[in-house]
Amino acid sequence: MCPIAMAPAAGTGPEAGFRGVIRVTFGTAAVPAAEGDAGMAGHDARFDAADREALASLIAVLEQARVGVRLVLAGPPADVAAAAAAAAACGLLEEEVTLLANESGRRLVFCAHCRTANTTVQGVGSEVDCEGCATTLAFSGHFSRRIGGYLGFAAHAEEAA
Amino acid sequence: MSSGVIDGTAVLPERISRFPFPFPSDSYRYSTNVEPALKTVVTEAGAWGGRLLDIDEHYRHELTERDAVLTRDPTRLQVLPHMRPAVWDAISTLLPIMAAEHPDAMSFDRDGNACRWQNTLQDLDLEFTLGDDGSLPVEPLRFLGSQIQDDIALLDQREGALWLDAGLVTFAADWSFGFDVGMKFLEVHGPVPRVHQEQIITRAQQFLLRLQPGEKYRRANWTMTVDRRLDTSTETYPQWARDRATVAGDPALPDRLHLRVEVQHLIRLPHSGAVLFLVRTHLLSLSDIARVPAWRERLGRVLAELPEDMAEYKGISRYRSAASAWLLGT
Amino acid sequence: MTATALQAKVHPAVEGGLLLEVADLSVQTASVTSITFTDPAGTALPGYVPGSHLVVQYGDGANAYSLTGSGRHPSEYTISVLRVDDGAGGSLAMHRLAVGDLVRVSHPRSAFAPVATARHHLLIAAGIGITPMLSHARAAAERDSEATLVYVYRPGQGAHVQEARELLGPALAECTDRGSFQEELTRRLTDQKLGTHLYVCGPAAFMDTVLARARELGWPQGRLHSEPFGAAELDQGEPFTVNLARSGVTLEVPAGVSLLEALENAGKGVPNMCRKGVCGECYLPVLRGAPLHRDLYLSEQEKSANTTMMCCVSRSLDQELELDL
Ligand code: HEM
Ligand code: FES
Ligand SMILES: [Zn+2]
Repeated sequence: MCPIAMAPAAGTGPEAGFRGVIRVTFGTAAVPAAEGDAGMAGHDARFDAADREALASLIAVLEQARVGVRLVLAGPPADVAAAAAAAAACGLLEEEVTLLANESGRRLVFCAHCRTANTTVQGVGSEVDCEGCATTLAFSGHFSRRIGGYLGFAAHAEEAA
Repeated sequence: MSSGVIDGTAVLPERISRFPFPFPSDSYRYSTNVEPALKTVVTEAGAWGGRLLDIDEHYRHELTERDAVLTRDPTRLQVLPHMRPAVWDAISTLLPIMAAEHPDAMSFDRDGNACRWQNTLQDLDLEFTLGDDGSLPVEPLRFLGSQIQDDIALLDQREGALWLDAGLVTFAADWSFGFDVGMKFLEVHGPVPRVHQEQIITRAQQFLLRLQPGEKYRRANWTMTVDRRLDTSTETYPQWARDRATVAGDPALPDRLHLRVEVQHLIRLPHSGAVLFLVRTHLLSLSDIARVPAWRERLGRVLAELPEDMAEYKGISRYRSAASAWLLGT
Repeated sequence: MTATALQAKVHPAVEGGLLLEVADLSVQTASVTSITFTDPAGTALPGYVPGSHLVVQYGDGANAYSLTGSGRHPSEYTISVLRVDDGAGGSLAMHRLAVGDLVRVSHPRSAFAPVATARHHLLIAAGIGITPMLSHARAAAERDSEATLVYVYRPGQGAHVQEARELLGPALAECTDRGSFQEELTRRLTDQKLGTHLYVCGPAAFMDTVLARARELGWPQGRLHSEPFGAAELDQGEPFTVNLARSGVTLEVPAGVSLLEALENAGKGVPNMCRKGVCGECYLPVLRGAPLHRDLYLSEQEKSANTTMMCCVSRSLDQELELDL
């Protein structure tokens, strides 16, 4: 279900019924060059991070848009994943969304034991200390688009205490 | 029901005679091992597979355990909103089957959407309305999970893929349903070695995408578990992980270590079109396995021969040689 | 008619299906008649996914028709048949059915299912293409989800128009001429909220037009669902002959019977498991002839080598195959 949208700030969103390309960038990522959307109307937006406010305003834009719209998301992996999850909840299909996540940058590691979403700039295969339960987590490559993060589980649980 | 064959002088108990021993040969590799459901398989100790919904001596105990797990951790049950009809479809499909397979203990009557379900194993006599969540004592999927021993997953088909969008999984073999819910079938299998290069999972997906309403298939999967611990989910991994390291040196290994076999059913539901995936977990200790000489030898050889990447993935690499040595008497 | 309606020889496409009784016939238009089937014993019929079709046997042939109900716990199956005077004869046979006739039908098959996550279903039908849309519209009403129907028909020749009006109310748009339809179509295709899925059924040219227009207006493939009018996957294959080299036996494999079944019937069981071409158990070495590979197990390379085949689903391109068996 599409989360309840906040009304877009006046003058910032595209017109209602928009069916062009919405390009959203997080942090300092460059606005992606148009690819395959030549000739389509564009709407650009930039946010520092995919926080609640940014996602609410993205959702508000999508609620006004109509089928035919395309979404391009660029920035750190965690932000792109969070925005992609919000877009999917609004009914966008995979083929309507282009994800341009930076190679490095913040990612979410979800603790399987206490369900804390940990933010880290480390990569798959590293270890991350959980902020929720202090367990040292193995940062696995198992990724959930719904959660927008990777599975983390106790890295040394089989070893003697 | 088979009464079991003779082991020396004693008749084998049902937990052995009905055990779905999964190895047709001394070496095990992954394959797209699906077959039509309900075919009885005769084993060296008896037979299994004649029913879709298997009830055994652990029925009440396992359902109590499931309820306790759910109470501790409600994330083991998730139904994404669009899957509500699929849950009701599963209920209206499985209860009549269960009643037909266990007429002494259960009965199901339906008139339009009005249903009556009786289950004497739980002293239950319930009237409810299909599609009306409030007519059941608990939420619909939890109710279904309180009647059958199987874990339940429901997959939605769209965009040419299958999505794990609902389920009640309390007895996971080393995975997290709460994390996986919402994933595509191929993503769910991401952590499994070999199967992607070998196209096993893509073939399974093709098969499932084409499965027609009413068709019922099954497959078996296996791993090993220390003690009769059903909840070996990733969530509780810190609680049971140590056993993997210590059991190899434990003189009680033959009684503590169990072959864990999942009989998994794959059913296309008639009205929602969702794929219902049932996982029925069977645990049998090595001591019990050893009472069937053919099984003792075969499992011993399979464990010795299994490639390391598969053993590592299954989480048995710390103790599989000890288990194999005990079984083979070496 | 009763005597001829129940054919002695079961068509492979309805094998393992149901034997139903014609319970009602209702004339929709000069050329469309609705036929309702029930179980002679009065029991409920298997439920089906909205948009499903039923294969119905007539004489030696079988045709697929869309079911018009929602599919939830049905006590009857209803189809609507357009009489095609120069067709293969199926529709004429259906129009000759009388109440009380017994007919062999398949289990309902789903190939045009609704999308459970859709926030709106935009249904577009022309002519007899209305039939699966009635099923979708009914199911949407039962699920309390949104559906809109654009229905194109020739003046005075619309089947189920009254039913559609009652089911959809203001969510029905009727078009009886080409120009007004084109306008309506463009308006609809440019004003759908995200999460809308488009369903189209009607003559092939009509569907092509609608789909092409939708793509032009930016609709991705994943939102487009079409059902080729009347087509069904009655993929029973051509008959062929196999020579079993080692046992010196020759077998005929008729249409609708798999090679595996033919071998089993002749007492030549082959190890098998899935019987669907995915598990890899039933492979057979081929000595001569080109198999028609229909499995998902062999790689493209293995298939083109023509030295192995999966006998549960694959057949033969040649009249005759020689197997190392
Ligand atoms: C024909 C169908 C299927 C095949 C051939 C298949 C195959 C496999 C195989 C080979 C494994 C590795 C098991 C091991 O080493 O112990 C596996 C694991 C698994 N399967 Fe399937 N599977 C099928 C259907 C399903 C379905 C429908 C689900 C839906 C939930 C599912 C969920 C899983 C999960 C969660 C794992 C564990 C993955 C992990 O470690 O995270 N499987 N499957
Ligand atoms: S029996 Fe499985 S591929 Fe033929
Ligand atoms: Zn934690």
